[in-house]
Amino acid sequence: MAEKTDFEPNIVAFLCNWCSYAGADLAGTSRIQYPSNVRVIRVMCSGRVNPLFVMNALQQGADGVLISGCHPGDCHYMQGNYYARRRFNLMRNFLEYLGVEPQRVRMSWVSASEGAKWKEVIEEVVNGVKEVGPMDQFKRRQLNW
Amino acid sequence: MVDVNKLREKAKEVVSRDDVRLLIGYRPGTYGFRARPAFVQGPDEADELIFTPACVNNLATYITLEEKLPVPRGQEPDLRKVAVMVKGCDSRALVQQMEEKAYDRDRILVLGIPCTGVVDMAKVEAKFPGVLQRGEIALEGDRFVLSFNGSKEEVPREELVADKCLRCRYPTPLVYDELLDEAVERFADDDYSDIAELEKRAAAEKWAYWEEKFSRCIRCYSCRNVCPMCYCEDCVLDRLQPQWMRRSVDISENTAYHVSRAYHLAGRCIQCGECQRVCPVDIPLMELNRKFYKDVEELYDYEPGTSVENPPLLSTFKVDDREDFIL
Repeated sequence: MAEKTDFEPNIVAFLCNWCSYAGADLAGTSRIQYPSNVRVIRVMCSGRVNPLFVMNALQQGADGVLISGCHPGDCHYMQGNYYARRRFNLMRNFLEYLGVEPQRVRMSWVSASEGAKWKEVIEEVVNGVKEVGPMDQFKRRQLNW
Repeated sequence: MVDVNKLREKAKEVVSRDDVRLLIGYRPGTYGFRARPAFVQGPDEADELIFTPACVNNLATYITLEEKLPVPRGQEPDLRKVAVMVKGCDSRALVQQMEEKAYDRDRILVLGIPCTGVVDMAKVEAKFPGVLQRGEIALEGDRFVLSFNGSKEEVPREELVADKCLRCRYPTPLVYDELLDEAVERFADDDYSDIAELEKRAAAEKWAYWEEKFSRCIRCYSCRNVCPMCYCEDCVLDRLQPQWMRRSVDISENTAYHVSRAYHLAGRCIQCGECQRVCPVDIPLMELNRKFYKDVEELYDYEPGTSVENPPLLSTFKVDDREDFIL
């Protein structure tokens, strides 16, 4: 995949209200510079993220999806992120099986105090998606038949 | 193969019981050696019951449909048992349904039929064109015997048996009130070689493979309707608000449909292969289901539909689940 240098991906990030959203907020208030490709959707818990959300984001033109929650053991709802982890592991393997590059759908643990980690995560996700180029497998598109 | 007279006797006895409302079994189809589901409500109807290698349907599907029948105003719901004849794979559907607390064990009465494999109609049609419309089929030892037009053909079992049976781990029902025949040993196992082969290909190649398959889909929803594990009263595919799945038939919506369907069955699919059997456009749906089956087995050491005490996979977790893929 050459000549993808001027491609700016759209990343949809599902952030848990209690850790990752606050972590991203901290990155902002601490004036940490990170790529502006992320569109954040705040959910109450990473366990709230239905696999259909990921599918739907990719259909609507996202090039990558990030799900981010609290570190294991830190969940506000005690165990939501454990459920999310199981669900995500299966989702990731399955999408890879269908031919979606694993760089596109990512998961991370970012706590409220990890503004710097948030920046690193975003950089890695954006670079990964830039490497594999625009996502057009699942995108809704005009039919010509 | 279970003796038909014994089966009918047992069915009569069961369906005459006061606490049994209905017996679901198989009866001859309209023509040829096809079989179709029979809903026996009285002992006089029990004489039409059969069991042959052509009894492919998974009758566990009808149990949950039965549960949903609306009760007319002023009438009490009929709480008597539903009796059902199950093969090995069908019994796993019952186990998985009970695992999910779809109904109580004492609402159903299970007649287990140890199964030595059912026939794949597509394979029969390919080998003997037109034979489906006339003739009979039986399994004698390790050979299928097809009789039609006065002639008899013997075919080795492996040639006509359905693919799911070549991978069947539980030919004897796992749950039953009464077993109608001798239990059979496990005669096959799944090595997932075809799944592993597809996994190894490059992403673009995989997507080209699946795009072609998904683009054929006409969204008839047969695979959903026949599935014994698809019994949600409110299906995400039918919903208009929010509309997860648009109704248009195009590659994006078809992909979303198949991803949702397969994911919905993650850790629940019991490998009865009904979805693929009923698919009118031959989409290899079991290749999707078996990917999840393989992952679930490898990652979480979990096999759906094998134990009623097991909690459903995705409603449990272990603190030390794998997480090396998390940033």
